[in-house]
Amino acid sequence: MKKTRALVATVTAGAMVLSMAACGSSAYQETTAAAATEAAGTAAAGETAAAAEATGTVSSSDLKVMLETPVMSLDPQQATDGTSFEVMANYTDGLTQMDDSGAAVAAVAESWETSDDGLTWTFHLRKDAKWSNGTPVTAKDFVFGWQRAVDPDVASEYAYMLSDIGQVKNAAEIIDGTKDKSELGVTAVDDNTLQVELNAPVSYFLSLMYFPTFYPVNEEFFNTCPDTYGTSPETTLSNGAFVLDSYEPAATEIHLTKNADYYDADKIKLAGIDYQVIQDSQQALLSYQSGDLDLTLLNGDQVDQVQDDPAFKAVGAGYLWYVTPNISAVPELANDNIRKALTFAIDRTAICEDVLKDGSKPTYTAVPMDFAAGPDGSDFSADQSKFQDVCADDTAKAAEYWQKGLDELGITSLTLDMVVDADDAPQKVATVLQEQWQTALPGLTITLTVEPKKQRVQDLQDGNYQLGLTRWGPDYADPMTYLGMWTTGCSNNYGLWSSTDYDDIIAKCTTGELATDPEGRWSAMYDAEKIVMDQSVIFPLYTQCNAEMLSTNVTGVEFHPVALNRVYKNAVKTEG
Amino acid sequence: MKKYVTKRVLTSIFTLLVILLVLFILMQLMPGSPFNDEKLNDAQRAALYAKYGLDQPVVVQFFRYVKNMLTGDFGVSYNISKNTPISQLIATRLPISIRIGGAAVSLGAVVGLILGLIAALRHDTWVDTLCTVISVIGVSVPSYVFALLLSYQLGFNMKLFPMLFDAKRAMASSALPSISLSMFTMASIARFTRSEMMEVLDSDYMLLAESKGISGFALIFRHALRNALIPIITVLAPLIVDLMTGSLVVEKIFAIPGVGSLLVNAIQSNDYNVVISLAFIYSAMYIGIMLVVDILYGIIDPRIRLAKDGK
Repeated sequence: MKKTRALVATVTAGAMVLSMAACGSSAYQETTAAAATEAAGTAAAGETAAAAEATGTVSSSDLKVMLETPVMSLDPQQATDGTSFEVMANYTDGLTQMDDSGAAVAAVAESWETSDDGLTWTFHLRKDAKWSNGTPVTAKDFVFGWQRAVDPDVASEYAYMLSDIGQVKNAAEIIDGTKDKSELGVTAVDDNTLQVELNAPVSYFLSLMYFPTFYPVNEEFFNTCPDTYGTSPETTLSNGAFVLDSYEPAATEIHLTKNADYYDADKIKLAGIDYQVIQDSQQALLSYQSGDLDLTLLNGDQVDQVQDDPAFKAVGAGYLWYVTPNISAVPELANDNIRKALTFAIDRTAICEDVLKDGSKPTYTAVPMDFAAGPDGSDFSADQSKFQDVCADDTAKAAEYWQKGLDELGITSLTLDMVVDADDAPQKVATVLQEQWQTALPGLTITLTVEPKKQRVQDLQDGNYQLGLTRWGPDYADPMTYLGMWTTGCSNNYGLWSSTDYDDIIAKCTTGELATDPEGRWSAMYDAEKIVMDQSVIFPLYTQCNAEMLSTNVTGVEFHPVALNRVYKNAVKTEG
Repeated sequence: MKKYVTKRVLTSIFTLLVILLVLFILMQLMPGSPFNDEKLNDAQRAALYAKYGLDQPVVVQFFRYVKNMLTGDFGVSYNISKNTPISQLIATRLPISIRIGGAAVSLGAVVGLILGLIAALRHDTWVDTLCTVISVIGVSVPSYVFALLLSYQLGFNMKLFPMLFDAKRAMASSALPSISLSMFTMASIARFTRSEMMEVLDSDYMLLAESKGISGFALIFRHALRNALIPIITVLAPLIVDLMTGSLVVEKIFAIPGVGSLLVNAIQSNDYNVVISLAFIYSAMYIGIMLVVDILYGIIDPRIRLAKDGK
């Protein structure tokens, strides 16, 4: 007995731990097995690709892509984040898809027409689109998916894409529970014809059709796994270029293989896509350098190391970063000259070139560049000097406005506080802003309140701030995704600025007489933007870019600032 | 002994309930909502709160949660992995953390014991100095520095081990994280073993045992080490929980799908159920291990058990 005890005692420290460690082995089974099906899609078809011929043989290995965050949901009506959208778009086609420039082109819908009043859209679906279980993709699948999006029981966070933004008939009433989801303005006329009714004409409606909230869901398949839909390859159906074959909730490794049954399979040159979630940017860059990744995201500090590398790319991320002054609650900020002084005192070029270094672009408009093209195809904010008399980097003008403002207020000094996210880039930007303001505007003291993002957002929404550094990402490719924010009563109009002229223009453009007049609407939106800029409702700073490394033997990856950030349908990876 | 164990178990359960209540109250104090703060209006947020029962008073939520938990239902994630049952999230991730942490503790404990023993037996020689230097480095350099060094040297330069965790090569890709995590345990155990052994070796009963003619292996392991183990186990217990519940930074560096990264992501995005469940499991493990340690004391040193039984 004594001996046994002695033995127990001696090995305790190690054994207790070893036995616990042993129970961890089973979790690996699923992912290991699922990821093994790799080389199903052969690259033989790829030899005709022009890009491939130019650079070498098409590689039979997967495209290896780094993700910064895990997928939050593969349920198209539940997902809200860019990572989930990107992964879903690989294996799901909507009515339309994005082309290289971001314009909507045919996908499951091969053609469409709209009524003269712009209130009815009819989509004609292609007959050869199939789900990966062999059933055809029909108009009913879209009806089911869209009804889920507005169903109060599903409580989709992006339900407003159908109601406020898509203006689909009855969507708003279904969301707030006053109508049944069967009354949604979308009908399957027959298997291949989908009809959509709108409350008001929506000029960007086609570009909403590639947004994942509008993706089809096969009802029969969904009902076989209602509680686990989209949580594993077995509970996911593909109708797109790839098939999901390895995934579990919050997975750090995700794998997709080329879908041999895809209607456009001949054009798909990648054998598969291998995603790896890496949250440490240094490890990601090292993995890229050792050949374990083909595409990775960098942070600003790493850009110096790779600036001259041909694989380095600065890709527009769509986000406009800006400072919002609390016009309604801070009397000094209600003074127009003080606001002008603050916006003129900012050196946006220095912020982009010396602080961020990731390719972000100085911005002097309320709607950022490179995401919304007008009726004539030109970018809404291509001309960055159009508001230079009210927004520019000009410390001399800033000092003039500042003195005028101080005189009007009868003060000689002013202390303002700015709330900032506790993340790396915003903190750096805020520190530089603080220095720029204090240098250019004598008597001004800026203090910074650094908070977790959730707290910062709540403080802005509660009006509990003086200056706030914030950002906004576009939901759809139209300037209204920004301009809609500064209407009276909008929850993102943090400073509670209000102008009836502005509200009138926005109403005319969204549901009023200009909704069916693309050119008139476009120029009215310029007028609306001018009001916001003239009154310095916000101080625009920069349009965010992401610094990425894309291996030089990969071509055809399409980067977009809206909806689907990276699209791989036309990507080609060559040997070498 | 039985009475003692029963009492300890009941106290533990009560403690856990108190922890759960405190966690609930803390969650209420967190700013922001688990949902898309910027893009949703008040009505939409209210609808989502209603869907998940977050609109009800904390007390109601608390009792509902406890009731569900007793049936093994920890609720669903609100956003980091939307609508996925927490039990499923934890079931896939906890084993990975336990495995890597377990390997780290085992490695650290075994190597630490050996280093400590050697240092004590050869004290005041160069061997002792070397062991002390190793211990000081292990205690003072954070695990992520080892992680970065090992990953750069053995992973990137020499390509001996994968730089990132790979479920297909779980053993090989666990090596570097486990070694990095084991350094602190190894160094602490080595230092404690050395000082405890030195004390024990100097004691009268060791002199007696030696003079009785007991020597070598038996003397060291049965008489000396056994007596030195109690304080070592006390040090080791919290380290075990620490390592098994996942190390945030090391998990991040090696892209390990463990619970450490899950907890941090959940806190940042106000995913209440995930935070509560993980914090609860962490507490339960901590209390559980402490309970085991207390019982072990009794097995290793009968004097402790006698004292407790006598109460």
